[in-house]
Amino acid sequence: MNGASRLAPWAAYALVGAGALVMLAPFYFMFVFATHSRTEIFDLPPPLWFGSELPANLAILTERLPFWRNLGWSLYVALASTALTLLFCSMAGYAFALFDFRFKGALFALVMGTMLLPSFMNMIPSFMIMDALGWIDEHRALYLPGAASAFGIFLMRQYASTAVPRELVEAARMDGCGEFAIYRLVVLPLLRPALGTLGLVTFIGSWNNFIGPLVVMRSADRYTLPLALRSLQSTVNTEWGALMAGSAIATIPLLVLFVLCSRQLIAGLTAGAVK
Amino acid sequence: MRPRASLTAALRNVRLSPRWAPYVFVSPFLVLFAVFGVFPLLFSLWLAFQSWEPTSGLDAMEFVGLGNFAFALQDEWFWKSLQNTAWLALASGLPQHAVAIPLAVLLHQGFTRLRDVTVGAYFLPYITSTVAIAIMFSSLFSTDFGLVNATLRALLGIEPVDWLGRPEHIKPAIAVIVFWRYLGFNVVLYLAALQTIPRDLYEAAALDGAGRWRQFWHITLPGLKPMMFFGVTLSVIGGLQLFEEPFILTGGKGGADQAAMTSAVYLYRMAFDFNDFGGASAMSWLLFVVVVALTWLTHRAFAPRRGGR
Amino acid sequence: MKATGRTTRRRVLAAGLAAAAWPARAGARTTLQVAAFPLVDEIVRAALPAWRQRHPDVAVQIVSRQYADHHTAMTTALSTSAHLPDVMALEASYLGRFSLGAGLEELSREPYHADRLRDRFVRYAFDQAVNRRGAVVALPTDIGPGTLLYRSDLLARAGIGEAELTPSWEAYVEAGVRVKAATGAYLIANAQALKDIVIRSGIGPGEGLYFDRQSRVLVNSPRFARAFELARRVRRGRLDARVSAWSNEWAEGFKRGTLATELSGAWMVGQMANWVAPQTRGLWRAAQLPERTFVGYGGTYYAMPRRADPARKALAWDLIRLLTLDRERQFAAFRSQDAFPALLETHDDPFFDEPLPFLGGQRARVLWRDAARRIGALEVHKQNNFADEVVGTELDNVLDRGKDIGRALADAERLLARRAHR
Repeated sequence: MNGASRLAPWAAYALVGAGALVMLAPFYFMFVFATHSRTEIFDLPPPLWFGSELPANLAILTERLPFWRNLGWSLYVALASTALTLLFCSMAGYAFALFDFRFKGALFALVMGTMLLPSFMNMIPSFMIMDALGWIDEHRALYLPGAASAFGIFLMRQYASTAVPRELVEAARMDGCGEFAIYRLVVLPLLRPALGTLGLVTFIGSWNNFIGPLVVMRSADRYTLPLALRSLQSTVNTEWGALMAGSAIATIPLLVLFVLCSRQLIAGLTAGAVK
Repeated sequence: MRPRASLTAALRNVRLSPRWAPYVFVSPFLVLFAVFGVFPLLFSLWLAFQSWEPTSGLDAMEFVGLGNFAFALQDEWFWKSLQNTAWLALASGLPQHAVAIPLAVLLHQGFTRLRDVTVGAYFLPYITSTVAIAIMFSSLFSTDFGLVNATLRALLGIEPVDWLGRPEHIKPAIAVIVFWRYLGFNVVLYLAALQTIPRDLYEAAALDGAGRWRQFWHITLPGLKPMMFFGVTLSVIGGLQLFEEPFILTGGKGGADQAAMTSAVYLYRMAFDFNDFGGASAMSWLLFVVVVALTWLTHRAFAPRRGGR
Repeated sequence: MKATGRTTRRRVLAAGLAAAAWPARAGARTTLQVAAFPLVDEIVRAALPAWRQRHPDVAVQIVSRQYADHHTAMTTALSTSAHLPDVMALEASYLGRFSLGAGLEELSREPYHADRLRDRFVRYAFDQAVNRRGAVVALPTDIGPGTLLYRSDLLARAGIGEAELTPSWEAYVEAGVRVKAATGAYLIANAQALKDIVIRSGIGPGEGLYFDRQSRVLVNSPRFARAFELARRVRRGRLDARVSAWSNEWAEGFKRGTLATELSGAWMVGQMANWVAPQTRGLWRAAQLPERTFVGYGGTYYAMPRRADPARKALAWDLIRLLTLDRERQFAAFRSQDAFPALLETHDDPFFDEPLPFLGGQRARVLWRDAARRIGALEVHKQNNFADEVVGTELDNVLDRGKDIGRALADAERLLARRAHR
């Protein structure tokens, strides 16, 4: 047994490392393709190293689209969406995990239920609601409706049920702490790793979402990135190089965010040995 | 946004009793659901009983009773799409968790310096947009010169496989892509959950002479149960609603012999390609019933502990 | 009906909220909204200077979305009668579906009288925009006359000329055998494309492609059997490259000269010259489709939603007339976007006699002009898209899994019959 466990670590690390490379490969190609022209991308075999067409692709990108404005809008919507989602979902998740109240079961079933219908079936009725509210072409139509997402509430509930001890909450209550104070000062810090995860996932989801904007946005200079990039695709004449460059640039903020969040995650994790 | 800030400030000063607190905390969800969730639900339920040619406007709906449901239940393509969905959900979902858990454990116990980078590498696919994925993968899976076939030939001497053209191959291709996309996500979830398992449990077990495997089986796995319930439920729901990857990779059609046409793709096509919104609504509700049933089964299988510890 | 009541209540609410939320937009200047997709949006944009000369006080806002997204957005807007554009561009394959409903303005009535314009357009293009009730619902702006493109060098090596390629579909396939033997090149990218065209020859009066006017299924018929047999012969003789259109391998096939012919719209020449296979310039020639089959591949139309703001309808109609009836605009689109004009009076311009360098100097536009006049309009049935798929799948079964043609067509018929009346 001892001999085996001395060999195993190296093999394990090698496997994990190889897996990581495989995970990275398509990503790598996205950046490589971003530096090639349309004809070069569709060469067979495809290019394996960076090319020199990045400036040309960027030129096409900024010429055809108000690219930086779209990027700005995506950022705005994603940040708003993340902030609201973290707030609403942590509140609801905490409630479901640490309180016993009437209708808890039914309400949670309702929450789960909202996850179960495919989103594009909502397109037409959503359009009607947005129209009635006067929110067509307004960005709040993108970040408000989904702010209390079932996924987020579910995640928060699962995490809170193991990370937040009831005794701690009871103790704080007995010390005279108000409910909101307990939530802010006791519960939220304990939920940090899950908040980091949820924040990241929500940001990414909002960033990459195109069905919402497709229904609601009408002016090209108010589009978010995915919708704007899609408009580069015509039936036959797509500027693939520019599209790849745009997609690659669109990924960079997510990478930055991930690097930041993972530090937060780890920091939260090492500080989280609260038991 | 300003109204909400002052509301929170006001609430901070108001004494909230523990009795009402949970309702207040759940209220944002309820309000949003009431405004944005109820109407689409009712609309789609109503629509399931109508025959509707959408471009003629809302007043063109005609009541057909259970006609759409009857049609759906007798429709070959509906059943075919359910089969495809089940296959893809299992083939892409099971490996995700089977691989993510050991991987998370490995990353948790070893890898202290390179952990961030490695987790980042595994998480990257989740970040990539579907447009980029579509182009990259159609290039990678290209029959004559894609790198996948080139690698297979180099390593195993296999003849080039027509991944995207043949029904029997496109399913595994999509399963691989979905696995690729969500593995890192599950790793991150399990990593977060592994942190909640107290170290002293492991130390105590080691002192008692338990080896690595027994520690894993008796401490780690049970400790991960809530997160496993979460992750598996998501995979079940996500798998049953699988839309983006098959849609994008087959150009919105579902592939040869509809092999990659999941239920969600079929619903989309019913509504926007075949302009049959009534039928699509009926099918989405039938699908809903299936998803509810499976989610409930998952719930029973994991039976999470209520109220913390 | 419940839906209408709800709509009215919502309209009142919307009006109230809109009035409160958008005070700034109630300006004196009128703005026309045009919804389009690439590259039609460029064509409309190019027409704006001419528009400003006619209507200096009317602005035009172009909302452009990706091709499929645009049509989805149009379906959504028409279904709720909210945020409708004043003019919408529609691609030919979507027009059929949209014209079946009651969402588009009927242009044959007052004050448009579009039926009087019938003779100014290529006949089939105009007829395609006439719905079941006989009303004109759109005007054509560009068309895609079907053509046969072939590599004259590869055919020459096999000792074949155009005359051997085109008398009949059977002759076309036989020529393919000889080309394959002599040069190793495939006849065609995919046997499915052959099936798609052959089923279009021999359509009787009152028949659509897959269904007739009474929604009876026409799939189990000699027309389809012949198409399936020809496709099978092509597949068995390994005459098709089994690549799907627009894929990497497809483009590569043209670049490397492994595809000897292509059946497509005239616009394919532009695509090939621009990016698919520019290096094969001079080696291709165009011909009419075999067996004198005349078919359209795509095309663009402009329509007006019935429930758009009536105050702007007259202006919208004016814009549509500018885009479709003005010789200058049609030519501008032809030159810049390779959009083959649907307006007949442009067809006598010397532009059509110009030699095309990609085709080795051939004056192919004359050919296409001729073809355009002979294409017949096809009735579109609501389930055509579905039928496309089903027949395509059954053909795959025949080609790849050796299914018997009779059984395949019978199965297709069964599937289609179940949906024909939905």
